[in-house]
Amino acid sequence: MQRLPFTVIGGFLGAGKTTLLNHWLRNAAGKRLAVLVNDFGAINIDANLIEASAGDTIALTNGCVCCQIGDDLSLALMRVLDSGRFDGVVVEASGVSDPWRIAQFGRAEPRLRLDACIVLVDASAALAHARDPLLADTLQRQLKSADLIVLNKSDLGLHAERPALDEWLDSMGACAPRLETTHAQVPLALLSAAYLPDDAMAPSGDKHDPFGHARQKQALGVSPMPGNPKHGARFDTWSCRPSRVFAFDALRAWLAAPPPGVLRLKAVLRTQSQDGTAAWSQLQFAGLRGTLLAAPSLEAGAAIVAIGLRGRLPRDTLQSFFGDSP
Amino acid sequence: MMGATVVYPARRIITLNPMQPRATHVAVRDGRILSVGTLDDVSAWGAHTLDPRFADHVLMPGLVEGHSHLKEGSMWDMHYLGWFDRRDPQGKLWGGMRSTDAVLQRLAQADAQMIATGRAADEPLLAWGFDPIYFGQQRMTVEQLDRASRSRPIIIVHANLHLMNVNSAALRLAGINGDTDVEGVVKFAAGANVGQPTGELQEPAAMYLVIRKFGDAGMLAPMTALGVRNFAALACMQGVTTATDLVNKLTAADVEVLEDVLNAQDCNIRLLPAFQAFHGTHGAALGAEHVQRLGARNTDKLRFGLVKMMLDGSIQGFSARLKWPRYFNGAANGIWVTAPSQFEADFETYHRAGLQIHTHTNGNEASEAAIGAIERVLTRAPRPDHRHTLQHAQMVDAPMFRRMAALGIGVNLFANHLWYWGDQHHDVTLGSDRANRLDACGSALAAGVPLAIHSDAPVTPLAPFFTAWCAVNRVTPKGRVLGANERISIDQALHAITLGAAWSLKLDHEIGSIECGKRADFCVLEDDPLGVDPMALKDVRVWGTVLSGRVHEARRT
Repeated sequence: MQRLPFTVIGGFLGAGKTTLLNHWLRNAAGKRLAVLVNDFGAINIDANLIEASAGDTIALTNGCVCCQIGDDLSLALMRVLDSGRFDGVVVEASGVSDPWRIAQFGRAEPRLRLDACIVLVDASAALAHARDPLLADTLQRQLKSADLIVLNKSDLGLHAERPALDEWLDSMGACAPRLETTHAQVPLALLSAAYLPDDAMAPSGDKHDPFGHARQKQALGVSPMPGNPKHGARFDTWSCRPSRVFAFDALRAWLAAPPPGVLRLKAVLRTQSQDGTAAWSQLQFAGLRGTLLAAPSLEAGAAIVAIGLRGRLPRDTLQSFFGDSP
Repeated sequence: MMGATVVYPARRIITLNPMQPRATHVAVRDGRILSVGTLDDVSAWGAHTLDPRFADHVLMPGLVEGHSHLKEGSMWDMHYLGWFDRRDPQGKLWGGMRSTDAVLQRLAQADAQMIATGRAADEPLLAWGFDPIYFGQQRMTVEQLDRASRSRPIIIVHANLHLMNVNSAALRLAGINGDTDVEGVVKFAAGANVGQPTGELQEPAAMYLVIRKFGDAGMLAPMTALGVRNFAALACMQGVTTATDLVNKLTAADVEVLEDVLNAQDCNIRLLPAFQAFHGTHGAALGAEHVQRLGARNTDKLRFGLVKMMLDGSIQGFSARLKWPRYFNGAANGIWVTAPSQFEADFETYHRAGLQIHTHTNGNEASEAAIGAIERVLTRAPRPDHRHTLQHAQMVDAPMFRRMAALGIGVNLFANHLWYWGDQHHDVTLGSDRANRLDACGSALAAGVPLAIHSDAPVTPLAPFFTAWCAVNRVTPKGRVLGANERISIDQALHAITLGAAWSLKLDHEIGSIECGKRADFCVLEDDPLGVDPMALKDVRVWGTVLSGRVHEARRT
């Protein structure tokens, strides 16, 4: 059984969680998402996108559903997973909760695979919040365990505030990669592994460019995220199709200390464990952490794709570890 | 047409009306108190029947529990494993379990009983009320639980509801093993089974592993009519005639159950469910509308209109928000259940809708945040006699009480904590200074803050005389007196569990004292609480209750 990628969206009140989810639901790019939110009232779904609405669930015409969590995430999660077939599950953490705790559900539920814990920061208010002694420790708990920190601002870019923000984030022990956005327009490929498409790993004519230009654009969310045509220019991808067999332990070791600059990586590889059994494994990595799980064999052969900020992706390091020839 | 008048003579009537504190006779007509005084006073109203059944009893106004939960009635679907004695809805007293062996013995008995009654071998055995805080550093393990049963899954929900312990059968069925990589699945750090799960599951995600397998039985089970009736039966045993269900989602199904049970003629309790108003950023306006609409369905026994908000967690769970110097044992400060800014915004919405808000605050940082928010809301939107109340407010000190008094905020203190967790607060969570002013009833009254005291049942048992005993004596199981100067008199304590709580529910004009015109709600006692040693106050025997003139004898076994 294929596990669904499980994304947690955290961040304090006003950081842009709902804006992000609104965008994502409207532009799901063919992926059927189950999105669990705290409050329907905040979600602003176009009427013509709503197929049916009943109680705590809104079904969208694009195959996504949006559910209200109520006071029990366990029940909401079981209900939504039983209710249909999805390509990914997203949970919006409340503004004061610790998203890493919620992320544990992605490890507890066998139908899910914890994909990423993404924490938004309201770049214009964060430093003021940080000075509030009632909030500082709550923000730190959220940031410490993020896989990706999104510095979100409502209109203009950051410029002058960025150094002070970085200094504060460093002092919070927030070691995840940081991404600047406006209007929470995070590229889809950074939000969920569902957008690192399996079809990119399927038969491909060009071994050196398995994505192709168009697909790369989709993977990075340019077309699904209208209004910010610059995303494509902000990211690099790297991919290859290694034919060799990897030692399971070597992949585990790679996950424990991945090279800086990789925002996301997804791979299906031939692996061999210490006792010599050969199998296929799926390696997933987002921001700080990843998972290594057994996977069905890939007809087209092994494949790997990675994304990073333009100019920051450690292509050579990736090539030397995953590539076939040194 | 006027109904018949019944006159009850009593050994003594404690009216709680300070202008006429004692009486010997009370006349009841149409479910209300017609007259109270001497036989001459009350018989002046004319023809009546003299009913001598309470002639040897002491009558008090029906007791009012301002902070309880209906779950008190439905916990008993599971097996009780608490440290303290506790009575079930049938009136049976279950002894507290003071050792791991006692816990295991109770579980083995329950398993044997399930086998004897032909229950399926894989049907889980659910238990509640266990609290490792009373067992020092010792944690329960899967090996211990397996001594009760290896084959039947055993699931123990801790008293704080945030943890579970399970046996190996439950681990196996839930698919939890050494490879399970979920924070909160505790594993042995050393010994023969190092790396294997201990059976302790902390917090929702770890407990989810079990819940997804065994369903939403136990703690997550929905409210049922039987549960509400059991709650009413327990209330009757404790002399309670009015209680709150201080968190209720009030869905259509919930309201239907409540109306079904409460509006039956023979139901022996008045209930005020408080709407659960901690939700997302946009829910408050809809919530306020919902509660206002429900107000049209109020009856004499079922009253909507209360709103419950929540700011922090619990002190013994280290999730309460504490001001400096924070936790005595150095634990990190607790959590906000609601962000202070959102609390203020939502509070304002409910306040402007004319509703009365009860706010859960345990730590003093949360209480201070609540007081500050309410002060700003009241400045923007003054409303006379709002009676907003802080619930628990366990660490509020004299200066904060003075602010509350100035703002008209009432308090319902969690006096039962003094006994149930008093030693832990002294030794572990707060240290002596703050443990000695925990649930500071004396300071609240000195500052002029309207005072109620509560059990938070099922967190601690519903039993207002016990709660009053805590506030009067402030003793702990280890024999400490926590802050002797915060003790209140028996008279003050009896006020807190009647009129004080009634004030916090805006019902002090209807209930809470025995006076002409009020509802004929009585607590019928075998003993006189004003004639006992203060340390015996908790042992005052309750015969039953009278609700709107209808007599209800408590179940006993």
